[in-house]
Amino acid sequence: MATILRWVRRHGLRVVAVVVFALLALGLAPESWRAAGAAALPRLSPLLNLFGALAAREWVGWTIVLGVPLLVVPFFWGRVFCWRLCPMGFLAELAGKLNPWGKGWVQCVPALNEVFALFIVVTAAFGYPLFLWLDPLCIFNGFFVAWRAPLTVASASIGTMFVVVMALAVVVPNVWCHKLCPLGGLQQAVMEFARWLRRPKNTGAWNEGGPQVLTAASTSRRSFLGNVGISIGTSITLGGVGLALKGAKGGARALRPPSADVERINALCARCGNCMKACPYELIHPDLGETGFDGFLSPVIHFRSKIPNWDPDEDRYCFQDCVKCTQVCPTGALRPITVEQKHAMPIGRAEVLKDKCLAWAKGEYCAVCDEYCPYKAVKLEERNGVNCPIIDPDKCRGCGACEGACPGDPVAIIVRPLQGH
Amino acid sequence: MKSIKRRVFLKVGATAAMAAAVVPVQAAEPVSTVVVVHGEDIPKMIAAGIAKMGGWEKFVKPGAKVALKPNLAWKSTPEQGGNTHPAIVREVVLAAEAAKAKQVLIPENTCQPEKETFPTSGILEALKGTKAKLYRPKRADYVEVDVPKGKICRKAKVSRDLIEADCLINMPVAKHHGGATLTISMKNWMGAVDNNTRRSWHRDGLHQCIADFSTYLKPHLVIVDATRIMLDHGPQGPGKLAHPHEIIFSTDPAAADAYAASLFNKTPQDVPHIKLAGELGVGCIDLAKIKIERVEV
Repeated sequence: MATILRWVRRHGLRVVAVVVFALLALGLAPESWRAAGAAALPRLSPLLNLFGALAAREWVGWTIVLGVPLLVVPFFWGRVFCWRLCPMGFLAELAGKLNPWGKGWVQCVPALNEVFALFIVVTAAFGYPLFLWLDPLCIFNGFFVAWRAPLTVASASIGTMFVVVMALAVVVPNVWCHKLCPLGGLQQAVMEFARWLRRPKNTGAWNEGGPQVLTAASTSRRSFLGNVGISIGTSITLGGVGLALKGAKGGARALRPPSADVERINALCARCGNCMKACPYELIHPDLGETGFDGFLSPVIHFRSKIPNWDPDEDRYCFQDCVKCTQVCPTGALRPITVEQKHAMPIGRAEVLKDKCLAWAKGEYCAVCDEYCPYKAVKLEERNGVNCPIIDPDKCRGCGACEGACPGDPVAIIVRPLQGH
Repeated sequence: MKSIKRRVFLKVGATAAMAAAVVPVQAAEPVSTVVVVHGEDIPKMIAAGIAKMGGWEKFVKPGAKVALKPNLAWKSTPEQGGNTHPAIVREVVLAAEAAKAKQVLIPENTCQPEKETFPTSGILEALKGTKAKLYRPKRADYVEVDVPKGKICRKAKVSRDLIEADCLINMPVAKHHGGATLTISMKNWMGAVDNNTRRSWHRDGLHQCIADFSTYLKPHLVIVDATRIMLDHGPQGPGKLAHPHEIIFSTDPAAADAYAASLFNKTPQDVPHIKLAGELGVGCIDLAKIKIERVEV
């Protein structure tokens, strides 16, 4: 009985956190606050919320204050979030229990958590963060976001990191929380910084509460400063690599959700999957190779021509008055925009394939693209009494309404990414 | 009378003045009737139009299953004229319920997502307090039918509730259409069929398919909303509007369309599907043979 009570006292909040945040990510909250609910957990992470915004150079709104507590709390109470609340940590810890032989193995793994954390911080300052997707809250979120019908390999792939973390946790118990997690590392660094400030009356009490109190690799000032040095050094090097990558790309073009910073989205996106979940038309997919290796699982928009077994009964396009995906991004990879802003913001541009177009190629009365275009971007040119479509590049927003509605078989109008995407 | 004279002039020649006096009298024996109600108050206009058509009891028998087919395809407000005015739909629903209809069903295969078009069109608000069932048909709600008189369109998948209704009322809005020139009542059936069917019409010959299908699906009553008509950028709009302030009633869809086309300064011959419908015998499209009864409210 006492054991149970102790377990509840110790883990009760974590169970609640897992259940609540899983339900939110699954989209089971009431409609009115579903979007805010899905974004809640990732926004608690300063890595995503504060440093993501820093990297994006975007004001993402007052939700940014949600990222502050996890920077402040460890200053006074150490990694209490990790051991008492973090849903990812709890699940990873439970997974570790599946491997009773591997208890001590974690000691053999070098502590990379602070390195990862500082790495993210520094590359974020450069404007091209490279490891945002290691954030545990985002990984937790991504896994539960992935569950939607119909479940496909592509849609489930956003849960990849969760599976990786759990697998690691089984192979080497506790390795995620103690040695790898960048959010843990960030808090560890803050905690050590606090300890360093209070060095004269250092009691070593700051590690108190860990389930298996492990000596962190960097308890001394020297090793702490050493870590900072290593991190900054590698960050600057790799940050440069990141910037070079960003410059060198350009061949990898894809349609991105509205408001995306198409040049930097591969870096800014933490792969939490919120935008994919938020899209009422299920058009946003985790990228599986369209945008290069650094774009893995970042959000891309697929219209009819890229949706296998596309169902003509569905009218799926990036609806002109919908900005849901832009409201749920925890990092600023997508920034919150208004409907009016969206109306002025192209995500791509439609192209009429004249050799397939019913009007151009066959002289049929059609003009369905004009009929469906919400932006009046289809100009009709009369040829032998038949209206033939031409795209007005200044008005087209690449919403895909025409592509979805085109009665041509094969489809005769396709949205292409804008130059340089 | 002007059009009659011109037609006769072309047909018989300028010398046949005597014939011109005689022939129209025989030929203009009205085949169809169109009631045109002009006014501003929609409930009164509906009441006046139906009274002229013979009263609701002629169309809705007690216990009948009534199906309405308004045009609610687009995210367009009542003022923009992209959809049938919700007040017209409401009046018809209330009248059907007053006539003791068992059910009033409104299946509509919208163009834009229904969760957007239904609220914006004002229809959800208009149907409050009624028992009418408005819905977008799912795949299982369509049945495949033969169109025996069709030249191109020989089969179509239609909303089951429309073909099983005891009283079917086609209630389109009249507006410009980039592909079909105008969309009035016969073109409105494109929201009665499933997406695969309507897409095939575009591929196979839009105007002929519209006319073909109209030989199959015959409404008991047509009520055309011409309170405001979209003159360009149709069918979605927003476009330039004119305000004829008319509601058009007929039991002949071709005649209703032929008359409504004149509001756009078009003859039935200018709109290929109306012309083809005339050729297929859907109804009378010769304005000279259509009795137009005007009612002022």
